[in-house]
Amino acid sequence: MNAIILSAIWGIVMMFSGVFVSGKRTIRTIAILGLLLLFLANCLDLGGGFRVHIDVHRMLYFDTFGLLANSVIFGSTLVFVMLSGRDMENVGINLAEYFALIFFVLCGVALVTTFNTLLMLFLGIEIISIPLYILTGSDKRNLKGNEASLKYFLMGAFSTGLMLLGIAFLYGASQNGSLFIDEMAIGKAPISPLFISGLLLLLVSMSFKVSAAPFHFWTPDVYDGAPTVFTSFMATIVKSALFIGFIRLFDEGFGRVHDRWQLFVAIITAATLFIGNLTAVFQQSVKRMLAYSSIAQAGFMLMAILSINGIARDGIILYITAYSAATIGIFAVLIRMKDYTFEGFSGLAKHHPVLAATTTIFLLSLAGIPLTAGFFAKYYMLAAVVSTGKYLWLVIFAVLCAAISVYYYFRLIQAMYFKEGDRQELDEGPGFRILLILLAAVIVVLGIAPHLVTDPVHSLIYLW
Amino acid sequence: MGITQILFWFLSVLALISAILVVVSKNPVHSVLWLILVFFAISGHYILLNAQFLAIVNLIVYAGAIMVLFLFVFMLMNLNADTEPQKNKWLKIAGVIASGSLLLVLVAALKNADMKSRLAEMGGGNIGLIHNLGLALFNDYVIPFEISSVLFLSAMVGVVVIGKKE
Repeated sequence: MNAIILSAIWGIVMMFSGVFVSGKRTIRTIAILGLLLLFLANCLDLGGGFRVHIDVHRMLYFDTFGLLANSVIFGSTLVFVMLSGRDMENVGINLAEYFALIFFVLCGVALVTTFNTLLMLFLGIEIISIPLYILTGSDKRNLKGNEASLKYFLMGAFSTGLMLLGIAFLYGASQNGSLFIDEMAIGKAPISPLFISGLLLLLVSMSFKVSAAPFHFWTPDVYDGAPTVFTSFMATIVKSALFIGFIRLFDEGFGRVHDRWQLFVAIITAATLFIGNLTAVFQQSVKRMLAYSSIAQAGFMLMAILSINGIARDGIILYITAYSAATIGIFAVLIRMKDYTFEGFSGLAKHHPVLAATTTIFLLSLAGIPLTAGFFAKYYMLAAVVSTGKYLWLVIFAVLCAAISVYYYFRLIQAMYFKEGDRQELDEGPGFRILLILLAAVIVVLGIAPHLVTDPVHSLIYLW
Repeated sequence: MGITQILFWFLSVLALISAILVVVSKNPVHSVLWLILVFFAISGHYILLNAQFLAIVNLIVYAGAIMVLFLFVFMLMNLNADTEPQKNKWLKIAGVIASGSLLLVLVAALKNADMKSRLAEMGGGNIGLIHNLGLALFNDYVIPFEISSVLFLSAMVGVVVIGKKE
């Protein structure tokens, strides 16, 4: 509850700081302070030190899994703002409002990770979506951004409509009109067709929100058209939160009837992996390549939903940590580049060795090379599927797709290290460099010793 | 057949026919007018269920506010047959196939659904009265009610961000 209240309040604080504070630096400092407070408040909630108690009528359920995911997401938002906060100034003049919208998104994130009724899931997803439509179109002079924003809005509204239809079906299917996810599909009563229809519609709309194939068509256009700073935000923080909501819904709500939907999720996973990886190979722009790579990574995260078990729950936390850290890092470098094509990165290693080295570590992590966090993240996902005892074909297919992904990630590394390029003036202060090195260090440490994260996660989820 | 049943069938037929006319009308202004009729028919259903507040809110918000906005937008955009872009034939076929498949799946799934045991109470039940609705809203559903304010606030901030001149 701490996080929900604090993020909403800090959103209002940011809104008013736009009126009363003139310096952009001050506004950024207020935002960073707010994120720090949010992170600490959530950790206090997690540790049990201080909790705001409100009778929520069981509509929210603050378990360790959700709160831990919150901590990871707020932490990555903090890193994101510290790395790329300055680039937000270049998008438009409404800096304080952008931060206000980001805080409102975080309020939605805190709802999506801790919901216990479909009502709260719907509210949370809408609170996340509406500010995102705005942030996508925040660069008003950019026609591509406007197009992306409108496209995202129309498609997102349509998928929300499908979700509402599904919720209505589930409400009709429940015994006495309940929207609580832990009361669905309970008891000995045979599963009604209404329930299955609602489940499928929810599966479709959630797949849309996390950009799983074949509902991914909006992703490349929106991620490419949006200002790069906000693409970074959408592809990492928001996507992680939606995955936590997805797994929560399908584990606690539909977990008891998992034999009914597992095959569908397996097919969606395979399609997502295939389309994401294969299309990324042909991209010329690094930004668009990263958009497709985020679809491909979503394919791996979908494996956690396919195999709802303990390993999947540990693994998804590790996965969102590794994925968010690496992607935020790459985007932070990309934002400062003048040329977004692969050629634009040529010769980066010679002139900006620190940026090139850290970007390489991030890319290796995304590709899942050992000694980086991405390797163990992928390992956990595959192990989760293996432990279900079925869907071995999916594991093999996923490993093949990961092999394809190495090609396009290494293409960027090759451009940076083995191609000649002109020196370009990049805006890199010492603080930026130190943060990137720290982020890369986190990825390497997690890659060498993943138990640093998974053990506490495991003990928190199961023993505490 | 009592008066309630006659009204129910009348309103249902009215709602369905107007809904079909919304889709098939060539002129967008006609579509909007048919849509208003759909809302009136649905409000009639709410009254049959003794949900007076919902009926009035449906009329005020949808038929009143949103439809007027629709009409304004149509008139400002000056839509007519000449300005309508040529639609791709394949796109139309793809749309028909896609939505037809969804219809088929839903009908196939729901044709066996047993809904007879869950018929709504006609005329009885008083959960739809303002007094009971208010009690439910501010007791059991107070958390979603308060949190939806964040949603509206973020939408308002967004409108300012998009609409403000740079």
